[in-house]
This record gives sequence, C-alpha cells and structure tokens, in this order.
Amino acid sequence: MPATRAFSLAVLFFFLSTSLVGGTPFSLSEEDRQLLEKIEKDSIQYFIRYADRGTGLVNDSSQPGSPASIAATGFGLASLAIAQSRGWISYRKAYDQIRRTLLALRNDADHERGFFYHFLDLKTGRRVWRSEASSIDTALLVAGALLAAQYFRGTDLPRLAQELYDRVDWQWMMNGTPLVCHGWKPESGFLPYYWDSYSELIILQALAIGSSTHPVPPDAWEAWNRLEDEYNGKRIVFCFSGSLFTYQFSHAFIDFRELDDRGINYFENSKKATEANWEYSLSFKDQHKAYSEASWGLSASLGPGGYKAYGAKPGLGFHDGTVAPYASISSLVFTPELSLQAIKFFYETYKDSLYGPHGFKDAFNLDKKWWAREYLGIDQGITVLMLENFLSGGAVWEKFMKLPGIQKWIELCKLRAPKTRPETTVQPELIPSEGIAAPNGSPSLQ
Amino acid sequence: MIHKERRRHFLVNRPLQFRYMFTITFAILVITTVSLTSLYFGIWGGILDAFSDERTRNDLLTASRLQQYEEARHSKNEPSESLSPLSFVRQAERLSERQREVFKEILDQTNRGLAGKLLLLFLLIAWGTIYLSHKIAGPLYHFQKIFDQVARGDLGVRCHLRKFDEAKSVASSLNQALEVLDQKLSLLQNITENEKNPDRLVARLKEELSKFKTSAGH
Repeated sequence: MPATRAFSLAVLFFFLSTSLVGGTPFSLSEEDRQLLEKIEKDSIQYFIRYADRGTGLVNDSSQPGSPASIAATGFGLASLAIAQSRGWISYRKAYDQIRRTLLALRNDADHERGFFYHFLDLKTGRRVWRSEASSIDTALLVAGALLAAQYFRGTDLPRLAQELYDRVDWQWMMNGTPLVCHGWKPESGFLPYYWDSYSELIILQALAIGSSTHPVPPDAWEAWNRLEDEYNGKRIVFCFSGSLFTYQFSHAFIDFRELDDRGINYFENSKKATEANWEYSLSFKDQHKAYSEASWGLSASLGPGGYKAYGAKPGLGFHDGTVAPYASISSLVFTPELSLQAIKFFYETYKDSLYGPHGFKDAFNLDKKWWAREYLGIDQGITVLMLENFLSGGAVWEKFMKLPGIQKWIELCKLRAPKTRPETTVQPELIPSEGIAAPNGSPSLQ
Repeated sequence: MIHKERRRHFLVNRPLQFRYMFTITFAILVITTVSLTSLYFGIWGGILDAFSDERTRNDLLTASRLQQYEEARHSKNEPSESLSPLSFVRQAERLSERQREVFKEILDQTNRGLAGKLLLLFLLIAWGTIYLSHKIAGPLYHFQKIFDQVARGDLGVRCHLRKFDEAKSVASSLNQALEVLDQKLSLLQNITENEKNPDRLVARLKEELSKFKTSAGH
C-alpha cells in the first residue's frame, strides 16, 4: 500500500508540476510554481488595492491622482474572477465587486454608443481628461467582463457582461471605412487613426465581428495589413512598434494555438516575436547594462523619460536600456524557459528595488540607475492572465473560447485550422525543459 | 383728496408684528447664510484642494503621462528622448483642459450640494409657514364660527384658542362682550318671566334697554 500511495503521489505531483499550455508538457519545479503563483497572487492585489469601493473602476496606475482606466478595469474584472477560482479571495467578495463594477459601467460610466471613454473619474464614472471613447480599451474591458462572467455562470453576471457587449456599436466606430477607428471625441469626432495593421487589434476585431447586435462585416478582418519582416531568420507578422505587449494582449484571451489565418498561426508568430525580442535586446547587451540572457523584455512601459513604446525588430525597435519585467513574464506561454529564467533573475537579483506588494513594478533601467516606483494597471493585468494561462494549462483560454461571439468570429473569418496544417505553420510547442536553450539555435548578434 | 383709510400707525400690535418680523427675517437669514457658506467653502475648498501643490504636481504628471500614452499609441516615429516643444504645448493644453474640467466639476458639485440644501430648507420653511399661518388662520376660523352661532341667537358660546395661537387678547375681549350681552339678555328674560305687573314690567324693560346703544336710535 505505501508503494502504491507513493506512486499515486508521484503521478499527482507530475501533473501538478507540468504545464500543457503549448501542446507539450513543460516541467516546472515546485519552487518555480510557488514563485509564479506568488507573482500572480501579488499582481492581483493591484486590482483590489486600486479599485474604487463604490464603482469598482481601477486606477490606470498607482501614481497618485491617476484616473480610472477602462482597460485596467477589464483586466481587473478578469483578475478578480481568477483570484476566486484559485481561492485567494472568497466567491462572494469577487462576485460582489464584479457585479458592482458591471452595474457602474452599465448605469453610470460615460460612453458613446457603448464605447467607454478611455479615462474615467474613479468615483463617478464620468469622462475625464477629455479622453476619447476608445475602441481598443473598450474591447479589453468587454473581454475582461465576458471572461469574468464565465467564472460565474448561473448568476446574473453573464447577462450584465453581455449587456455591455451588446451595447457597443462596433460598426459605427468604422466611420464608413473598412477599418475600425481608434476612437471618437465629442469635441472633434473620430480620431484620425485606424487599426490598420497587426497589433493588439485582434481582440477588438474578434469582438466586433462576433457581436450579435452591431457586428462589423467579416470583410473588416481582411482589411488590415499583415506586414511581415524577417529578423534572425524568423519571418514575423509584426507590429509597427515591435512592442512585446502587442503580441500578448489578444493572446491573453484568445487561444490561437489551433487557429489559422491564411497560413499564419498567431501563437507561433508571438513565440517567434518573443524570441526576436530576446535576441534583439541581447544584441545590445554591451551597450546597456540591463540587457542579458536572463534580463530582457522590450515593450511599451515607463522609462527614465516617461512612458514609451519600447520594442524590438521587426518593427521600429526603439529602446534605451529599459526592461519591462511584465513583458517577459507575459511571454511565459510562448517561451517558458526564457521567461522563467528572466522571472527568477528579476526576483532574485532585483527584488528589493523592483518587487513590491503588488508584484513587479513596471520597468527599470540600469544605465540610468532608474527604477519604476509605479505599477501600471494593464501591465499587471496581462501578467495575471498570462500567468494563469500558463499555470492552469490554459483555463482563461478555455473559458473565453467558449463565448458565442468568439466562435462566430472564428466561423465567419474561417480561422479554424484545417485538419492537415499547412507546412508553413508550425504546431506551437514549448521549449524543452532541459536547460536554457537559445530558441532556434544561437542568436545572431548584431 | 383725503385718504381716510390711509394707515398712520404700522405697529398696531407690536408683539405680534415683531414676532413675525423676527421669524421671516430669521428664515431669510438662514437661507442666505447656508447659500453663501456653501458657495464659499464649496468653491474655495474645492479650488484649494484641486489646485494644491500636490494635486497640481499629480495633474502635471498625469497630463504628461497621457500625452506619452497618446504618442506611444499613435506616433509612427521613434519617441523623442527629450521633451519636444510640440509635446510640451500638448501637455500644457491637456493640463489646461483638465483644470477647466476640474473647475467646472467644482462648480457643478457646489451647485448640486447647494441645491440639495436649499431644497431641504425650502421644505422646512414651507412647513414652518403652514405652522405659523395656522396660528392666525385657526383663531380666525374660530371667530367665524362664534359669530355664526351668535347670529343664530346663541349667546352661551365662548371662544377657546390653543396655547400658542395668536389673537388671544381679541378672543378674551370677545368672550367678555359675549358674557356681558349674555348677562343683559338673561336679566331681561328674568324680568319678563318674574314681573307680573305690566306697568312695572314695561318700566323695568325700558330702564334696562336704555343701557344699550343700538342703530335704532339714541
């Protein structure tokens, strides 16, 4: 009997310590799992500490005087649902706060045809800073609300979240063009910017096409550019800035592993973009102290000169030695070994300066001896969702992919992967667990 | 042309008039004080808070941050290392818009607070006027009932007012007049019932009636 029990425990431990995210198991030591869970749990605290008790709206950042951000609020809703699913907060507390937030959004928050203003007053939900009714931020909020509601099926939360989704007039935001506009202001009308190329726009497109009330035509999916470029032998559909978050935000919700867009697998694309990001920063390790094999993550973040769209190649590739830990953490599902190595390095080496009660602070720059003192809501949010996907074997994806709107988008845009995959599309796999290997061989330094 | 009915003395009932003057003046004073205090502290308190050094610093940082967000999202160019003049102007513009927004919010908030307080005050004053007017309307109603009963020949009726009703002295005088009238007529009734001698009856009635002044003569 003891032998049988020991065997059973060993099997259980194996399953608990492996992640099946990328299709192949990734071995995770108990110590590493505990660290990742701690980071996830601490990061969720941001959405408890910086949410208004009345409206549930979440501060854009931990900077005093920061307004509420609707995207951060969306991530907050999802984070609360995840926290209760893990037993870190009670079901009742999570339910109450999510419900309060959804009601405030439905009844009090300023919006135009369902599109919420980017920044709202934390206590009243009124528009502040003359911000725009934002398409992408509304999409992230709606995605967070729909996802959170999936954790509370059988309650009134799915209906409330659906009401927010149904209210959004996605077609109006196209302004008579084939593309979705960035936003609209009462003072000046539609902004002169459109979501015209690969970026975090996919979550917006998916919700807009999948809407049951005001859908955009499926042609909109064809209208945006899939610009491709090569970096170190990797062909990547890239975002103009090359910021890592653009390869992550849609992926926090949507499971792209089995989706195929005319031969493009966006999961695989993000994996290559993450590897390129690592290689790109590594190629500058002699110029910037913060860059190393274990210290990477070029993404839009705070920096010594303020918030900037840091990024890698392909794309603009602007950088100044600033590293954003959230970017490498949120790549866990794509590059688990590279990310885990970075997380452990950041935690063990810079814990005192970089880690706080709400997880990792936004960024740091060793050249200028600069350490962010702030947390940004959306960066905490992507950290939570990607950690949850990684640690739970894709629990967020599983819930989100069941949404009728997402299924409709997949059907209308013919994204379901064919039985026999095209040769150009590689089945996403996580890097083998032994050692820290450079992806696709050694990086070629520039 | 001589105006016979022109008022010469405005203070005909000083205690009553002074009481009403005090009550109405006090009500107006309360409304004015509440309004002015709310406006003063609402506006200046809000402004002092909104434009304190700390808030101004936070607003400056937020204006700068939002401008940077916008540039990061919309710009197709490499971010500038230093603050460009255009960026500075946009940040200043954003801050100025925010300050107008804040100021408008302070005024709106103050006005909303004031409107609430004034509504409550008006309700209290409306209730107060009903209470006050009842102190006059109540006695007038009583007087009318008394006069109706007297007109029907009932001289046994008396006027009884509430403790805080106005015109108590009038009621007292009325009761005195009714008492006298009642006694006189009772006396006449007694004379007619008890006096058997017709000559003496007429003489006694004439004597008693001669004490009345009526519109019939004398």
